[in-house]
Amino acid sequence: MSEAVAPPTVSVAGAPAWRRWALGALCLAALLYLPTLLTERTIFGERLSNMQLLNLGLTQINLMLIAMLGALSLNYLTGCAGLISIGHAAFYAAGAMAAAVFGTQLGLPFPLVLLASGLAGAAVGVLAGLPSLRVQGLYFVLSTMAVHYLVNFVFLEYQFRVFDVVGIPYATPSLFGFELNTPIRWYFFLLALVALTYVGLSNTLRSREGRALLAMRDHERAAMSAGVDVRVLRIKVFGLTSAIAGVAGALYAYYLSNATSESFGISFAIQFIAMIIIGGMGSLKGALIGAAVWLLLPSVIAGFAAEIGRGPGILGSLLGEHRAQFVQLIFGLLVIVLLIFAPRGLAGLGERLETLLRQKGRS
Amino acid sequence: MLGQVLFSGLALGSIYGLVALGFVVIFKATDVFNFAQGMFVVAGAYLAVTAISLLGLPFPIAILFILGGAALLGAGIQAILIRPLSGRPILSIIMLTIALSIVMRALIEIFYGPSARTLTTPLPSGGFLFAGLRISQLHLTAAMTSWACMILFGLFFRYTAIGLLMRAAADSHEAATVSGIRVEAVNRLAWAIGFTLAAIGGMFLGQLQVVSTELESIGLLALPAVVIGGMQSIPGAILGGLLVGVLEQLASTYISPKASDVVIYALLLVILMVRPWGLLGQRAINRV
Repeated sequence: MSEAVAPPTVSVAGAPAWRRWALGALCLAALLYLPTLLTERTIFGERLSNMQLLNLGLTQINLMLIAMLGALSLNYLTGCAGLISIGHAAFYAAGAMAAAVFGTQLGLPFPLVLLASGLAGAAVGVLAGLPSLRVQGLYFVLSTMAVHYLVNFVFLEYQFRVFDVVGIPYATPSLFGFELNTPIRWYFFLLALVALTYVGLSNTLRSREGRALLAMRDHERAAMSAGVDVRVLRIKVFGLTSAIAGVAGALYAYYLSNATSESFGISFAIQFIAMIIIGGMGSLKGALIGAAVWLLLPSVIAGFAAEIGRGPGILGSLLGEHRAQFVQLIFGLLVIVLLIFAPRGLAGLGERLETLLRQKGRS
Repeated sequence: MLGQVLFSGLALGSIYGLVALGFVVIFKATDVFNFAQGMFVVAGAYLAVTAISLLGLPFPIAILFILGGAALLGAGIQAILIRPLSGRPILSIIMLTIALSIVMRALIEIFYGPSARTLTTPLPSGGFLFAGLRISQLHLTAAMTSWACMILFGLFFRYTAIGLLMRAAADSHEAATVSGIRVEAVNRLAWAIGFTLAAIGGMFLGQLQVVSTELESIGLLALPAVVIGGMQSIPGAILGGLLVGVLEQLASTYISPKASDVVIYALLLVILMVRPWGLLGQRAINRV
């Protein structure tokens, strides 16, 4: 990609250290309090209506956290390394398939299953990355799409040979005796995982290889002449990001306790691209924002629909009868508007706003 | 059996070739790899439903309605969505066309309802036996119309003044602008043509099956068709379309109906590895 995208390292320049710490502590407290808030539905003894909670439940939050893993890894691959992939659903599928073999069929412990899913994802990722040694740009995008269809077919065959049309069942996983059987337990497990992935990925970007990665995205020739072996680097990035996606795929299957080949269709892959465009290409924070918007907006809209009710007129019919299509319409338009007016997504918009405010404050 | 499969493969392949031709016209003119081409096919089918079933127009006028509507939609999409994004990285443009197809699908399902509709036209729909093959007249009409359109556009690009302008603009935007060609108008025309060709394909596919947004996945087979044939090549698109049609029918008859996609995409992967510029394309792509 030739266009310069903002480096993902976000500096909070200007803000004094104590304010940053206070902000961080506040965020942490909010994240820890969130599951209690969403299950008890009261705040400081005050009862909250469904609308005040934006019609959100912990299940949506958990699915959002799983999607964040996918969006983070795709944004690392596409936004930071400049490799476009429509094959992200394939890595999810590979992870879910490995979980089915090692978890459902062989009954291995959950941590081992996750490890196997990561390895399976990485293996498919390296396979999908191999065409990048020969073709570039559009042709490479298409090769990831072809890989998607191949993996999806393997998943379909596996599902029908070993299981049936209903899909692959997944048992309730347990982490060293700690059963993940309630949404709250899942929440803390997933939150830790997302935080770990986020910190890990941002740290790799500050390492030697991470800098080489950004150099490769911004100017491949220059990176090569500076001694970066772009071919090896590309395969490595593919392995790393698809391992994350593989783990996310296994978690997704375990969380829903069922997976079919239709769960991982091409539109599943496309939604991750939409997330990183909404959030902001090349920004890991943007990946989190994009996943949050994509997963939470539908239920917010559903909440509004319940509030307004089945009224007459166009809005009533849109919110009642055609709600699924209405959500799709809003997402499609959001992506189009952001692409035309704010190519760096919501994260980019936020930064622009911040600079504007700071300039105002100074003058 | 084999002859029957080949016949329906070639007939469907002709329609794919037509859709792929529309794709290549857009790609050559504006460098946009249009993932919404499948949705253009669906839009064509629904234009036909609107004209014939809902408005009850007489057939010749209905045809004009479909062609005109498709051309207007294509030109409008270019003016509103594609032009502001010229010169952006390919992911933005790919995602724009994907978002466009999401919006179009949502709008169609809101206006026409999510359930499938049948499309009946005065076109002959019977069948007859020829050399031991059962020939469906609708398949035959579809194939012949597709070939007529492809030949017509081939001649148009080769021999008319506008066709020459379009080829010049596709060759080099700068050189064309310097020579006084209004490149934007030419691009708009390319999108109008691309949409119209997809819409004609959609009209036939809607009749051969039922009209629903699920036709998109069939229309999207134009993508592998184009790459297999060669992205810059018009005969390549047609050849790719025919190949994809025949392969699809062979795979779903002799292997399993679920295998048709994977066979096509496996061939795509092989082509990308061995001959990335396609069967009939020119060897001028960026190799690593």
